[in-house]
Amino acid sequence: MAEPGGSWYRLDSAGQLYSAIQSDRYSAIYRFSAMMTQPVDPAALQRAVDRIMPRFPGFRVRIRRGLFWYYFEPNQAPGPFVREDILNPCPPVRFGQDNGWLVRFYYYRCRISIEVFHALSDGGGAMVFFRSLLAEYLRQTGIPVPCGRRFGVLDPDKPPRPGELEDAYSRYAGKKKGRFGLLPRAYQNLGTPEPFYTLHVTMGFVPLDQLRAKAKSYGASITEYLAAIFIRVLLDKQEREHPRRLMPVALAIPINLRGWFPSETLRNFITTVRPCIDPTLGEYTFPEIVAQVRYFMKLHINRQEMQADFTTKVRFAENRLLQLIPVALKNPVLSWNYQILGTRPYTATFTNPGSFDVPAEMRPHIKHMEVVLGQATVPRTDCASISYGNTMEITFAGTQKETDTEREFFRFLVREGIPVKIESDRP
Amino acid sequence: MSYCVHCGVELDEQAKRCPLCGTPVVDPSALEPMQEAPFFASRREEVPPVSKTELALLLTGMLASVTICCSVVNLFVGRTVAWSLYVTGAAAMLWFWCVLPLLARHMPVWARLTLDVGAIGLYVYLISLALQGSWFMTLALPILILAALLVLVLGLALQGRRRSLLTAASLDILAFGVFMLGVEYFWDRYFRGQWELGWSMVIFLACVALVIPLVIMRLVPSLREEARRRFHR
Repeated sequence: MAEPGGSWYRLDSAGQLYSAIQSDRYSAIYRFSAMMTQPVDPAALQRAVDRIMPRFPGFRVRIRRGLFWYYFEPNQAPGPFVREDILNPCPPVRFGQDNGWLVRFYYYRCRISIEVFHALSDGGGAMVFFRSLLAEYLRQTGIPVPCGRRFGVLDPDKPPRPGELEDAYSRYAGKKKGRFGLLPRAYQNLGTPEPFYTLHVTMGFVPLDQLRAKAKSYGASITEYLAAIFIRVLLDKQEREHPRRLMPVALAIPINLRGWFPSETLRNFITTVRPCIDPTLGEYTFPEIVAQVRYFMKLHINRQEMQADFTTKVRFAENRLLQLIPVALKNPVLSWNYQILGTRPYTATFTNPGSFDVPAEMRPHIKHMEVVLGQATVPRTDCASISYGNTMEITFAGTQKETDTEREFFRFLVREGIPVKIESDRP
Repeated sequence: MSYCVHCGVELDEQAKRCPLCGTPVVDPSALEPMQEAPFFASRREEVPPVSKTELALLLTGMLASVTICCSVVNLFVGRTVAWSLYVTGAAAMLWFWCVLPLLARHMPVWARLTLDVGAIGLYVYLISLALQGSWFMTLALPILILAALLVLVLGLALQGRRRSLLTAASLDILAFGVFMLGVEYFWDRYFRGQWELGWSMVIFLACVALVIPLVIMRLVPSLREEARRRFHR
């Protein structure tokens, strides 16, 4: 049966892509971490994982290769088991190894981390999962935490709701497809690659109120303001490299579609927008970049355009010809497709899943939140941010040796008068 | 609480240098910091690569069954010619080319190249056996070894640092010229018993004539710039 909750179910269109571009050296993985106020008790965390996993059948799956497509089926293997944290976060997943688990749990001192394969869920879904896990962990350590949808904490004793496993892309796919055209190549921000399995992570902690006030002084939201700084930094970096031809700088900014298309789904339901600045048109001042990013996002983040965008992807996956190609041959096609449409037109990814809100009972026990995007298919640096309480955490993660991108980004914030505290795994 | 004097960012209490710019943290009056565990974990973990043994076994089985079937059929059909040797040689060559890399992933490039060329050599040898010719040792093998050596030299010269298109093209053209000289040398030795420079010299000189302007263009910055301007994409 191909319905979620049955013995197997289909991947959504984003999941199909992330599974196809999976390789020995690449997996679409991201990590959320919570820095607790007390050292983590691994036994309690394991108990919490064991309690919470049956409530989230969308995470309790293994991926299998059919003749034409990958599919998910419930994973009955023991685990997943919590592990001590590692220096190199977000290593690729191997479909057949680790008992087939596509989600990992780590602990280190006061930090609890989860790593999720993107075919399972997007940041929005994973945050609900992580919040419920943290709530259950605190309960296991003797702290009462209420459950409820309004807190985003799901009750592990209740059965999963069918809506949580729906393929929201298919549900909302309309009739009209978006325009399908090749996007121009963007500046790639490639650096010297480190040996495989080295992911440099640099985190900056910023007071949220000051950041918000500063963004507001430009008339922008925090996401727009940070994206504009990132673009400014990348434009300057490109200019310092004296290229033969200046390329546009474009960001991939994922947008959570649940705000426009009501859905309970914990699976993927995002699309991306592509704010872009072309330096060949002339010099842009920083307020102009902020305005460009802001108006671009205001213009393109609307229900109709986003629906047309994901309708294109859903219809692409429904293409009869594509469906009849065996998965082994389809993977290189989709991988090439990702190179052309998902990597070349973008300089970097910037994601801000927003504020990690928790019930009042949990607040005294969590110091701050962290988010890390796994390595890209090329040695470039991606940026992710998450806020909790009055702390905005901004992570730069990538496999390049150079630190220019993050250095200039944080220096820019300091010049703007916003204090930044840095933590990095660089030696 | 330490701050980087260049970046202005606050650093970890235990940071010896700024992770953004590498500037050392120097504070002579600072007290000896308490030795806390670092902010990030220090344990490295690597996920083992996907096992390709199953795929290798499958391919080996397919190649072996084709070989066995053809050998058996050869006993009954077309018995005068050992045509199954062609199939056997092709299967062996494909095995070395496609299956071995799946089993031995960390094989150095030179070893893989040697084995790949050896596989071609084996295939050509089987063809020479099937045709009952004596040309393998004196003609085919030397040409094959020469080609392999040139590929190796080109590979070593072009790998690693990013060479300019002009350098790469010059080296390729020159290697082709040398290869042609070698082909004529072995050809003459086999068919005439002595070496006399002939058609290969024409090809070699044509290659040199092509390479000279490329090298000049490579060495003179103004010419390079001109070429860049004319041929920009």
